[in-house]
Amino acid sequence: MKLSEKQMGYLLILPAIVIILIIAIWPVMRSFWISLHDIRLNDPTKTEVHTSYGLDMERYVNTLPNLLRYLKKEADTAQGAAKEQLLSLRQQTEQMNATLQQTGEIAARYERIDQLLLEFKPVPNELKYVELTSEQMESIQSTLAAIGTTLDEMGKQKQLSKPEGATGVVQGISSSVIEPNYVGFAYYKKFLTDSRMWGALYNTLFFTVVSVAIELVLGLWIALLINKQFAGRGLVRATVLIPWAIPTVISAMMWKYLYDGQNGIVAHLFEVTGLVSNMGVLLTTKAGAMFSVILADVWKTTPFMALLLFAGLQTIPHSLYEAAQVDGASRVQQFFRITLPMLKSTLLVSLLFRTLDAFRVFDLIYALTGGGPANSTETISILAYKTMFAQMSFGEGSALAIIVFLCVALISMGYIKILGADLLGESGGR
Amino acid sequence: MQKKAGPLFYIFLVLFIFIVMFPFLWILIAALKPPSELFGERAFQFIILNPSFDNFVRVFTERPFARYLWNSTVVATLTTLYSITIASFAAYAIAWLSFRGKTIILRIVLAVSMFPQIATISPIFMFMQSMGLTNSYLGLIIPYTTFALPLAIWNLTIFFRKIPVDLGEAAKVDGASIWQTMTRVFFPLAMPGVFTTAILVFIAAWNEFLFALTLNTQEAMKTVPVGIVMFQGMFTIPWGEISAASIIVTVPLVIMVLIFQRRIISGLTSGAVKE
Repeated sequence: MKLSEKQMGYLLILPAIVIILIIAIWPVMRSFWISLHDIRLNDPTKTEVHTSYGLDMERYVNTLPNLLRYLKKEADTAQGAAKEQLLSLRQQTEQMNATLQQTGEIAARYERIDQLLLEFKPVPNELKYVELTSEQMESIQSTLAAIGTTLDEMGKQKQLSKPEGATGVVQGISSSVIEPNYVGFAYYKKFLTDSRMWGALYNTLFFTVVSVAIELVLGLWIALLINKQFAGRGLVRATVLIPWAIPTVISAMMWKYLYDGQNGIVAHLFEVTGLVSNMGVLLTTKAGAMFSVILADVWKTTPFMALLLFAGLQTIPHSLYEAAQVDGASRVQQFFRITLPMLKSTLLVSLLFRTLDAFRVFDLIYALTGGGPANSTETISILAYKTMFAQMSFGEGSALAIIVFLCVALISMGYIKILGADLLGESGGR
Repeated sequence: MQKKAGPLFYIFLVLFIFIVMFPFLWILIAALKPPSELFGERAFQFIILNPSFDNFVRVFTERPFARYLWNSTVVATLTTLYSITIASFAAYAIAWLSFRGKTIILRIVLAVSMFPQIATISPIFMFMQSMGLTNSYLGLIIPYTTFALPLAIWNLTIFFRKIPVDLGEAAKVDGASIWQTMTRVFFPLAMPGVFTTAILVFIAAWNEFLFALTLNTQEAMKTVPVGIVMFQGMFTIPWGEISAASIIVTVPLVIMVLIFQRRIISGLTSGAVKE
């Protein structure tokens, strides 16, 4: 079979597109979906998205016999009316179970899971959860509530031999009932008035604007300086690449050592030169920590910025400067009339990538300050990470992650509007 | 007209290189210092009285640092190999074949490369956990695609476009099929670009932190960046060992940078600079 060029093109590009769809685009959409649900990985009934009522069969199979056994034991020791009452409670429980098992599927699964648990085998996920109709759901909840209150009262009247066990066994079963955890835009609404979120957003913006501005000015200055013939160009090039090449967290750890309040040489130098009142200030005060984070970022990425701008400078034809000199333009005029306009697209592309990187900052701050002290360097990515992996609140954390995503989208759309087709190069052609 | 460099310029240059390299220099000194000189009154001295390699030895004997290095190498190598393979086909099609929708595809690739990782972490984490893929190599290689594949496609497309399309036309006239054109004419010319892109992808995968931090939490499955950050205890930070480990990771990168600097620079700047 011979394919046309067009078919061949689609065939070659297909694997890449499919993978990007599955591994990058789908997760972002899924993140948004998760952010509409109350998902907590430390709460067994909320570990995933539940759109309807359901039953955690494993838990149910495990806990139902406990209640039955408890009621039987109490009935055995109880006397008269109390005994009657306990036996009727036991019957209610069994009836509840029977109604539930009228659905053939639940009965079958009950058997299988019971068997698996007896053999100490893990219960596979696809067996675990069944959906419940709202009637089934109500019947379970009302029965359990009734049993709970009756047992409670009997306990108060000293009719039970072990009243303290009652609540446990009833709650065991209720916790196997899964409620839908859809919360809509509740998290987003909460964040609108959440001072910690706004603080984190402010920190992120402050860090982004200040560090990118410094990197741009310094980078341009260095690029202009090294844009001439000199011995040792290769050395400079290699020097410039090394901070870029090492893992961000490693540079963060290095700076953490340099800033250390007791043994840090940079902290020591700052103290000696009077920049800070004492060495501890750098990592333990709010302003000091933000300054430290920005300085470390400037150190790591300015060389990269200089490199990009230097490459851009080299594409400007010398004839332009020669002509300008003949016309008597000053160096300053040459810079603003020739260099800057010719460098515009390189400048904007470098700025775009730097701004996005700075806005998404995570590694550097995670390793250097952890977001402290007192959340003063906590950026929105750090906050999202903490919400997800420290509090295990995935719904809420995903909402923050989506906020990061929206901000990044806004920033890049802004730049692309200015850049226009420049960014995609000649993709329209060929 | 290129300006000649004066002595003032060289002073500036030395200063610049010193500032950029100073943290490395200081970390190297710290790695070679025994604890008695690392802390206390000799903490700020450049001269080491009793240099020792204890920190380097301890990193390997008392911590699973060799294991971290191995994990990082495996994950970064496999990520590079597979994303370069898939991206080469895609980039070849975008750069050399004519079909509709290329601009849109390139735009999607560019947009995906701007995605913040944090926005994909929650579903990926939950998926890997439910599939039992946390603490495995595959569990990192799959999510690494989110940045490796767009990076590779983007860079390769730019490189491939520079290869004169006439060569392809000539091959076609001579009766070569698209497949033959691709394997016989195109790939030999494309190898430098592929190689450069592979270096960039490898470095990106080697340095990745967020996925590695959240997905591979077991000691034996950690990658280098996560491993080094986790050296710190609750109350003490073993600066000597952290410095030694940082030096061990930095040295191969420095060598790589020295050897491939021209390629890396052309790879880094090709997206931003139009020639």
